Amino acid sequence: MLRDFLVLAGSSILHRKIRSWLTVIGVFIGITAVVALISVGLGLERTIDDEVAKVFGVDTFVLAPRGSFGPARSSEGSNQYALDLEWLRTLDGVQTAAAVRQRTAFVQGQPGPEGRLAQGFLPVMGLSPELITSFSSFVGSLEVEPGGRLFQEADSVVAVLGREVATRLRVDVGQTIVIAGDADKPEITFTVVGILATADDERPQQGFTSGMPASATTIYIPYGTMESLWGPAQDVLVTLVRTAPGRDVDEVANRAQAELRARGSRVTAITYSDISSAIGTVTSTVSAFLAGIAGISLLVGGVGVMNTMFTSVLERTKEIGIMKAVGAKNSHILSIFVIESGMMGLVGGIVGTLLGLGLSAVASAIIGRMFDVRIAVVASPVLITATLGGSFLLGAVAGLWPARRASKLPVVDALRYE
Amino acid sequence: MPLLELAGITKDYRLGKTFVHALRGLDLTIEQGEIVALMGPSGSGKSTLMHILGALDTPTSGMAAFDGQSLQQLSENQLVTLRGRKVGFVFQTFNLVPTLSAQKNVELPMIFLGVPKRKRAARAKELLTKVGLADRIRHKPNELSGGERQRVAIARALANNPEIILADEPTGNLDTETGGTILELLRRLSVDDGKTVVLVTHDPEAVRIAGRVIRLRDGRTVEEKANA
Repeated sequence: MLRDFLVLAGSSILHRKIRSWLTVIGVFIGITAVVALISVGLGLERTIDDEVAKVFGVDTFVLAPRGSFGPARSSEGSNQYALDLEWLRTLDGVQTAAAVRQRTAFVQGQPGPEGRLAQGFLPVMGLSPELITSFSSFVGSLEVEPGGRLFQEADSVVAVLGREVATRLRVDVGQTIVIAGDADKPEITFTVVGILATADDERPQQGFTSGMPASATTIYIPYGTMESLWGPAQDVLVTLVRTAPGRDVDEVANRAQAELRARGSRVTAITYSDISSAIGTVTSTVSAFLAGIAGISLLVGGVGVMNTMFTSVLERTKEIGIMKAVGAKNSHILSIFVIESGMMGLVGGIVGTLLGLGLSAVASAIIGRMFDVRIAVVASPVLITATLGGSFLLGAVAGLWPARRASKLPVVDALRYE
Repeated sequence: MPLLELAGITKDYRLGKTFVHALRGLDLTIEQGEIVALMGPSGSGKSTLMHILGALDTPTSGMAAFDGQSLQQLSENQLVTLRGRKVGFVFQTFNLVPTLSAQKNVELPMIFLGVPKRKRAARAKELLTKVGLADRIRHKPNELSGGERQRVAIARALANNPEIILADEPTGNLDTETGGTILELLRRLSVDDGKTVVLVTHDPEAVRIAGRVIRLRDGRTVEEKANA
C-alpha cells in the first residue's frame, strides 16, 4: 500500500510541476548551504589536523608553562618554569628532549667610532642544539646570513645574533660579545658564529610554538651555557620531548608531567591529540555556527513546503472527499500528504547535497589558493545520509500539519467543495 | 431482509448561523436489486439522503441500517470500510482524480482496501472494458469526454463489487444521447448483475428505468409509486 501511496503522491507532485519545483528549490538552497559549509568545515578540520601532525609529529609532546593551555587557562603563575633537562632525558620512554630558556642580560659588544663600547640589556635565549638537529619542524626556517652558521651540539661559548642586535652591538661573525649572568657568576665571552637572516617578507621567522620566535632582537646561545651564567634552569619557556619508537605518547606525557610537577616544575604536557582536539573544538564550533545560520534558510524552505502543502490541501479538497468516499481512511489521506511533502523534501535534499558537495569542492580550491594550502575535500557518508534523511523529515514534518487538516475534512463538505 | 432501512431519520446541520432541517422524519426501505429514483425540488433533502444512504454521513436521529447493521453503531473507520466494500458512488460532476489515469482511478477504491496490484489492474481493465472504454485505459480524465468520464466513474463505483450504486444526477452534465447510454449501463447493472441502484435525478429519462419513484419535499417522503 505504501508503494501505491508513493505513486499517488508522486503523480500529484508531477501534476503541479512548477509549484513543486519552486518548493524544492526553497529546500535545496538551504540544504546546499548547510552541506557546503559543513563539508568545508570538515575539510579545514582535516587539513589543520594533517598540518599539526606534520609539524608536531605524532611521537612528540610539548611541556608548556602550567595553565597556559586548555580550557582552564589561568593568568596566575609565571610563563617560565624550572626544569631538569638532563633528568627528563633519562625518563623512561623519552628519546630526546630539547628546551628553550630565556633571560634578559647585560651584554657588551664592540666599540664604536668614538671608542665607546656598544652595550645594553637584551633578551638572551638558550636553545638546546637538539632543537635544530632533531626538532627542525618546530623551529621553522632558522637561517643565517652567508658566512655564518648555527651552533652545534659540541659548541659552548658561541652565539647566534638577530640582525638588529648584531647591528646595535656592532659585531660581525668572528667577533665577540660579553654576557653578564648572575652576580656570583663570571662574565662569559662568546664568539659570534652566525647572524640570522631577516626574512624577505619582514615577517619575523617563527617556529610552530610561540616560545621560540626567531627574533631579530634576540641573542641565541647554547642551552647548556645558560647554566654557567644563571645556574640551573628556572626560566624555561618551552620543552619539546620526543618519545621512543612504539611508546604511547599520551602515557609518557602524562607521566612526565606528573613526575616533573613532583620535582617542582610547573608544567603542562601537551600532545598532538590535545592540540588537534583543541583546534577541532574551535573549528567545529565555527562550522556549527555557520551551519546554524544556513539552517535558517532550511527553516524557510520547510515553511515553503508547508505553504505549498496547505495550498495543495485547499485545492484538492474535493479530491480528498472523493478518496474518502471511495474508501480512504483518515490515516490513508494523512500518509499520502505526508509522503508527498516528504518526497519534495527528499528531492530537495538530493539536489542540495550534490550542489553542496560541488560548492564545497570549489570553495576549498579557492581557500586553498588564497592561503597556499591543499584543503582536503571531504564527502562524509554520515553527513550525506543524515542530510538525505533530514531533508525527507523536514518535508514530512512541514507537511504534517496540512496533512492532518486534509485528513480531518468531513467527506460531505469536501465533496461539496468547488 | 431489505438492503437499506431508514426509519424516522432526521438530519440537522448548521449553515452559517441558521440551522437547516434537511430531513424531518423520513422512512425508506430499499430492497436488493431494485432501481429507485429519488426526485424532488432542490432543498428537499435528496443529497442529504444520498449521503446517509451511502454512509458518508450519519443521521441526527432515527434508525439507519445497512444489510441489517445499524450505521450509528459503527466507528468512523468501520463506516469507511463499509462504503469501500458495499457502496459505489457516481456523481453528477464525475469526481475523478484529475492526476490519475482511467485505470488508476478505477483502482483507487481497491488500493484503499489493500487489493494486490496485479489483481487490481486486471479488475480495472475488466471493468473499463465492460463500460466500453477498453481503448481509454491510460487516458487522464481531461483527455476523455463527459460520457467517457462518467463511464470511468461507473467502473470505479463497481471496483469493489458493491451491493449498491448511489448515483447523484448521473446524467445531469451529459447530453440526452450520452445520458441514455449511462442510464442503460446502470439499468443493466441491476438487471444482469443484481445490483441495487439508487438514482437522485430530475431527468425524466432516468425515471423511466426506475422500478420505483420516491418524491421528497421538505425532508419527507411525499409520494411513492411503482413504475409500470
